Order: sequence, then C-alpha cells, then structure tokens
Amino acid sequence: MHLDLSELSQLAPIFRELFKGYHVSRRDPELYAQLSNFQDQYRTLFKALGFELVCDTRGFYYFVPDLAAAAVNKTAQRLALFTFILVEHLADQGRDPIAVLDGGSLGRDELPSLLEKYRDLFIQAEVQTQEELEEKIMRRMTQLGFASEENGVYRFLPPMHRFLDVCLSVQQDRDLAASLHSVLPLPAPVLIDEDSDEKLLQTDDPLDLSEFEGESEEDALARAIAEEQETDA
Amino acid sequence: MIEPKRVLRALAEHWALLEPLCEHFDQGTLSLNELRSQLAAQQLDSTPQDITSLLDVWIRLDILVPVAKSPNRFELNAQIHDFLAYLRREHRLGLCLEIEAYLRHLERLAGYIQDAFDVRDGNDLARQLRLLDMRVRDVLKKLANDEQALVAVAERAKTSDRQIPLRQRYAEVLATWDEYVEPMIQLVNADGAFEQGVRKVENVLLRMLTEQQRLGHLVDDDMLLRTHARILEMQTSAQLTLRHARELLLPLREEARRHNAVTRGAALALAAIRRKGIDAVPQAAMPLFTRPQSTFLGSASQVEAYVYALARFEPKPARFPKSHKTHKGGEAPRAPRTVREMVERCEDALPMPDLMTWLLEQEPDGATDELLYWFSRLSREKRFKRERLERREYHTHEHQVSLRSFALLSAGDTAAEDSASIPHAS
Repeated sequence: MHLDLSELSQLAPIFRELFKGYHVSRRDPELYAQLSNFQDQYRTLFKALGFELVCDTRGFYYFVPDLAAAAVNKTAQRLALFTFILVEHLADQGRDPIAVLDGGSLGRDELPSLLEKYRDLFIQAEVQTQEELEEKIMRRMTQLGFASEENGVYRFLPPMHRFLDVCLSVQQDRDLAASLHSVLPLPAPVLIDEDSDEKLLQTDDPLDLSEFEGESEEDALARAIAEEQETDA
Repeated sequence: MIEPKRVLRALAEHWALLEPLCEHFDQGTLSLNELRSQLAAQQLDSTPQDITSLLDVWIRLDILVPVAKSPNRFELNAQIHDFLAYLRREHRLGLCLEIEAYLRHLERLAGYIQDAFDVRDGNDLARQLRLLDMRVRDVLKKLANDEQALVAVAERAKTSDRQIPLRQRYAEVLATWDEYVEPMIQLVNADGAFEQGVRKVENVLLRMLTEQQRLGHLVDDDMLLRTHARILEMQTSAQLTLRHARELLLPLREEARRHNAVTRGAALALAAIRRKGIDAVPQAAMPLFTRPQSTFLGSASQVEAYVYALARFEPKPARFPKSHKTHKGGEAPRAPRTVREMVERCEDALPMPDLMTWLLEQEPDGATDELLYWFSRLSREKRFKRERLERREYHTHEHQVSLRSFALLSAGDTAAEDSASIPHAS
C-alpha cells in the first residue's frame, strides 16, 4: 500500500494519544475524523511500526498491546470493577445501565453513596476514599478516553463498550458461574500487578543490583563463585 | 337497524368529546360517574341535564353499550371502537392465530370454488369467489393494521422514559416478538400455513382459468384474475409486514437481551470478586490497553520525526565476509580470546600486583564490558589466589571505572606466601 504522509495530517497527535493508551472516539472530532477517513492507511503504518490499531465499529480506536508483552494491569482491573459496580448500582435503582454507560452521564455527587454501598469491593481495588476513587478510577477513565468530565458530571464515551464486553464475556463464562457454586478455587490466572512498587522495581538490567542490597562484596563474590561452580559442574 | 346517517352525524358532531374518551376506552370501561365527570371537564358550561341527554343519545345510537353484567359501566360499541381506532390510527396488534384462521378459511373456500366449478354451478362459484375476495381483503386489512401496531410498539419502547429499567421498557417488545413475530415467521415460512394456503388457492384459480378456456366460461375471467392478483398482493404484504416487524423489533429485542446479559455478567463478576478477590475475573476477559507511557518524547515535532523515521526504516543490508578476499592494509579484526588463552597468559604473568592494570596493559583498546568480564572471570579462577586491593579508578579506552581490584598469585604459592608472611603491596 502506498502511504502518503501528507494525507495523514493528524499523525503526530493521533500516535501520541494512542501510544499513551488513550481511546480516540467522537469526543475528539478531528482525530476521529482522520482515523475514520484514513483507517487503512493508519492501520498499515502503525502495524509496520509494531502497533496494532483496533478500529471498533462502535466508534472508537485504540492500540492493543502485544499479547506476549501484555498483562492485565491494576488499572484495567479497577476500571472493570467500577463498571460492574455501576451496572449493578444503576440496575438496583431501576435505571438503565446501558443507557448511562453508553453515552449517558453520572454526577460526581453520586460517587460518595456508591463508595459507601460498595466499600467492601472498592477496598479490593485499594480505593477507600472519595479522593482515591476520583484519582485512581475516574481520572484514569478520563485519561484513557473512557469518560469525559465537565462541571462535576462524568459523561461516558463509546470505548466503555470494552468494559460492557467484559460483563458479557463473564456472563458467558460457565466456569466462573460454576465456580461460584463450588468450593474449589477459581480457575482464574494470577494477574500481574503492573502498578505495584515491587513490580516497577523489577528490571531485566543485568547491572541492576537492587536485589543484592545489603550483601557485602565478599559475600557477593562467594555467592558468584558458588554459582559459577554449579554451572561448571 | 340503526340509521347510519344519524350515527355518523353524532360521531361528527361530538368528535371533540369522543376522541379524548377513546383513550380511556382503549384502557378499559368507564362507570357512569366517570363518564359524566370526563364530559363535564370537557364542557365546562354544560349542565348535568345536558350531559345526561348527550349520554342518552349515544346509548340510543349504540355508540355506547353497557358492559355485560355491569349496567353502570359503559364501553364503546366494538364496531364503533374499531372504526374510531382506524380513524385515529390507533392500531391494536392482532393475533397471528387470526391470520392463520383466515388462511385455513381461504383454503376451504378454494375447495368450495373447485366443487362449484366441478358441478358447473355459476352462481355458487361467483358467490364463493366474492367471499374469497372479501376474506383476502380482511387479511390485507389485518396485516396493515398489525404493521401500524408494530410501529407503535417500537415507538413506545424507544420513547419511553430512559430511566425505567430496560426490562420494563421493552416488556411489550419482547411479548410482541414472542406472541406475534415469532409465530408469523413460522407462518410465512416456505413450508408454513401461509405459503401452503396461498399456493393451494392460486393453483385452483389458475387451473380454473385454463379449464374455462376449454369448457366455457362460468364466471368472468377478470374476476378470477383480480382475485388471483389480490392473493399475490396478500402474500407480498405478509412478507413485507414481517420484514418490517423484524427490522423494527429485532434491534430492540437484541438490546434488551444484551442488557440482561450485561447486568447478569456484572452481578456474576461482583459475586466472584466478593468471594475470591479482584483477581477472580478471568484475565482473558479483561481489556488490554497500552500502558500509559511516562517517558515519552516531548514535542509534537519530535513525535513526528520519530514516526517519520520509523515509517521510512530500512534494515541495513547484511554483510558477510568473503573468504577469497584478504584484508588490504590495516589490522584484521582480532578473534575474541578464549578463556583458556587468557588464563594461560595470566598464569604466565604471576605474581600480578593488580589484575585490572594488567588487563588494561594487555587490552588497551578493549571494550569496558569485555575488560570487566575478564576481570570477573580471572579473579575467580581457582588456579589463582587473590588479594583484594584498595578502591581506585582505572581508565579504559572508553570509560572511567572505579573498583577494588585484586592482586593475583599462584594458588600453589599460597603455603609459601603464608609462611613467609609477606605483605602484599597494593
């Protein structure tokens, strides 16, 4: 395919946003229009660069990371949990969850009651106060393009469908439903917590010495020798 | 017999009062008191006597009829109600079974038509054909009515309060689908009652047309052709109604189903998280998104340059050494030294006051990482005894390295060295 870079006039901002994990939807009319008009060109270009651009027909674009490199992070878990809570909360109130999460809005003033009602669940996502709820969940949602915030009202954007899809796939997950009625542990894989400090400190740097902190040089040498001998043997 | 002109005149004259009452009668019956208060609310300047006389006229003309076993409750005469509903375009969805019953009746009529033709009874044939034609018109009327009713069902679902639960909002859609659309799909199927009935009637009519050519005319060909055309119109109309119904209701039905699935999924996920923690939701289900990058190129032009460079990236052609060519001038790249070679050279240089200095002398142009590798490897070699020195700085070809080097001796010398207690120089 021939790529004419002069056509892709919004390439830089689009790449910058997508690279940050942002979901481009109609809320960003210029970027969205560019992506829809030159969808194939952008997808080809990004693919050549090693980025997979997903064009969701429900009206949004995002980069999906390499499956090999991808790990569900804490943010995704938190946002998914928030979606589950919101769906149940709205349904309990007799409101239509899909109408709210697909283009509808939620007032900031509704957050305290939500936090209070689902405190036990929010704690699992390390969210205990309203500030934490706004910081760790609502702000992340706006940063990633799932919602926008204006005058204390959060408006949910089409990318929220990604979380509604989670609800659907959970609903179809017979294992999960079955496990709720059994005493056996859940067959869910352990998720890597990307945001935790321990994880952030882990590196593949061969010169990284943090693991050996507190070890004297003599001890280190002795250990290295032992290791070498083991390898030789 | 009721005088049609008087009924029509009364309807025309009192239309302003009747029309709002229709809505109430659509929901059910009204008691005499409710009727009086409704009419009084609409006619503020009327006396109770006026209202009584008005109701009296309606009852006499059979526009209003008392409800069976409840003489104080009234409803609109069913015929008048249907007529008014037609005028107001307020259609109630009929039953699929009604259409099926009509179809069975059409099949029976086709049988009677065949019998009348076989016995050459022209009068009976004409009568049966008229009956058939009227029944087909009934079906067409019903289909048109049902189509309007289906539009209304979809509109009510779409325009009702968004805040009420979807299950309630779409209850009518789901019920309509189950009770009308689904059976209609069965009915209008290629092997359903509708198609079978239509085919049977059509066959009878077409055969009769050919037979009339042969045996002489009992009825006008035009009549047969008109009836045949109407049968085909009915078939097309049924298919169009059904298609329209599907287009209108299927998305709403899917939405309702999806809504139920989403709510159930969320409840299921929360139950799992409550019992087993936040990791209970299977990883495969979770959305993956690129982790926000904190250390990213800053300005727009940098990003552009970066992307542009990547887009135009071309791998360098791989160069393979050619065996037949010798290097002209300059030094040939030296093969990496083996461990054995280095250990032997080191052994030859013992006793060595400073390993790092010795390495730098040996490989003045060596890369720092390579030198550090040899430093690490040789200092741990079992053939040598080592003695740690003070920390100092060394300058490699590329870097300045700060480390505590070793003095190396032969391991065999250890005993002698120890007994002599010779201090090691740094």
